[in-house]
Amino acid sequence: MNSITRSMLGAAAVMVAMGLATAQAQTPPGLSPLDRSNPSASGQDGNLRPHPLPPLPTAVDKLPLDKIKLPSGFKVEVWSSGHPGARTMVMGSKGTMFMGTRTLGRVYAITEKDGKREPKVLLQGLTQPNGLAFRDGALYVFAINRVLRYDNIEDKLDNPGEPVELTEKYNLPDTIHHNWKYVAFGPDGKMYVQVGSNCNICEVNPGTHGQIRRYNADGSGQEIVARGIRNTVGFDWHPVTKELWFTDNGRDWAGNDGPQDELNRIPRNQEGANFGFPYCHADGIPDPDIKRPNPCAGVIMPAALTGPHAAGLGIKFYTGSMFPRQYRNVAFIARHGSWNREKKFGYDVVMARVNGARATIEPFLTGLLDNAKNEFYGRPAYLFQMPDGALLVSDEQNGAVYRISYGNGNRVSSTR
Amino acid sequence: MPMFAVWRPLLIGLAVATLSISGAGAQGVPERAKLCATCHGEDGNSRMPNIPSLAGQPEFFIINQLFLMREGVRKVEAMAAVVKDLKDDDLQALAKHYAALPAKGSGEPIDQALVQRGGELAAMRRCVSCHQSSFAGADQIPRIAKQRVDYLIAALKALRTGRPGSDTLMSAAVAGLSDADLAALAHFAASR
Repeated sequence: MNSITRSMLGAAAVMVAMGLATAQAQTPPGLSPLDRSNPSASGQDGNLRPHPLPPLPTAVDKLPLDKIKLPSGFKVEVWSSGHPGARTMVMGSKGTMFMGTRTLGRVYAITEKDGKREPKVLLQGLTQPNGLAFRDGALYVFAINRVLRYDNIEDKLDNPGEPVELTEKYNLPDTIHHNWKYVAFGPDGKMYVQVGSNCNICEVNPGTHGQIRRYNADGSGQEIVARGIRNTVGFDWHPVTKELWFTDNGRDWAGNDGPQDELNRIPRNQEGANFGFPYCHADGIPDPDIKRPNPCAGVIMPAALTGPHAAGLGIKFYTGSMFPRQYRNVAFIARHGSWNREKKFGYDVVMARVNGARATIEPFLTGLLDNAKNEFYGRPAYLFQMPDGALLVSDEQNGAVYRISYGNGNRVSSTR
Repeated sequence: MPMFAVWRPLLIGLAVATLSISGAGAQGVPERAKLCATCHGEDGNSRMPNIPSLAGQPEFFIINQLFLMREGVRKVEAMAAVVKDLKDDDLQALAKHYAALPAKGSGEPIDQALVQRGGELAAMRRCVSCHQSSFAGADQIPRIAKQRVDYLIAALKALRTGRPGSDTLMSAAVAGLSDADLAALAHFAASR
């Protein structure tokens, strides 16, 4: 091969490479691939749209407390209010409750003063800081594509100062859609991080999207824990088996009745397993818009279906002893409620009773959805078990947290 | 965006000017709206390039956007000083005021070929599912009917580049569209 031929081949190789690069760059960085759904085929009302989130707080006397229904023996009260859009909850070692938001861009800190809880805006102006975790005095804040660590935060609530920037270390994709984060430290001490599929329904790169990952706390040692996930927005570990259970929200614009949302479990020694998105949904339903042969081959089926467009967000295995014994190790799931469904569904807290690889879903907190009027009064988002065994439920729509207790509500508990 | 580069100093100048007027303390809606009118038009219909019309916007949408600008989630340089001191009551009063005003077209030239192309794109991207078939918006979703063409183009471009605090659904809606596509969508929406 003479040098001219070689250089021509070299040039051709460069051109081919450039061509490939151009093809891959059709979706600019930071953006979502095109939604492949076909709403007219879904037969749904084309004017369905996400519900608005009020940026201003609901007054305490307007909170829908009187609507809430619970099994006998349980009672509900307002734990805190006046923090619009508050969703995720983590508690500092000195008792500060931190709450993350989505569109409002705030992180709240709730402290107790003279027996009264006072919310304050700790951080603001972030892009959807839904992911919070706390360890060794530090608050980890995951906004869309930014990771920040505030050391000794509970000593600096009035002036958090500059955080340690971990964004580059975590190296998360720069896409926006379905990338508000849920994060938690696992029993292995690793930070588990959601990376959603950046569309309603499309083919994603399974090496970058539709995952749960785990990292060392400093952002090193990234591993993929699960793939083929549309968008999980909550997970927790079973108190006995230590397996990871997660909620996954089903696709939109494929009908009012599904595919249903999923409660999934990552079986021991199957980390990195595939959960089916975008080809296989719910308990084995092939996608109507993105077809391929044997779409469900090798896909781990859900432990339970959690309802059409129900939007299961937070999940918490109950380990306290305030609630009766039959609630021990039950997974509570907050269902935020549907938007892509003509007849509204969800807006409640359900229980998943786990039996090995399967779970059954039962109602727990109801009453926030008026079926006759097709109206909702609140949107449960996340759950938190207090040291005394009471269960906190955040209501994003009303900017409030409700405390659910049993009996006299003062029973001594063994926290985990 | 060259247009922005040209207008930015003027906008900041106006914003600073309005800030000094608004230092007077509690004001009624008409007083506040007078400040807004400098850029957004006496009747809420903007005659200034790249400045959006507010007339006929859903009340919730205006409250929400003023809130997000005040928080620093949505960063609009020219608005930062104006929204800084607004109280929640102000947001509500201003929103009510502008929602009640009738939206009028800006008088910019509308290209019928672009309107046609924009209509096809809007159907493909399903703009009506959130913006409603009238394009008048609802709740947190803005009116885009009768909005200024130049503003719509600028806003769509900003959403395409992932402007901070931008809506996750809009980032999906504009993904992969060319400048020409965005212009067509803008002409279509403005013509509704």
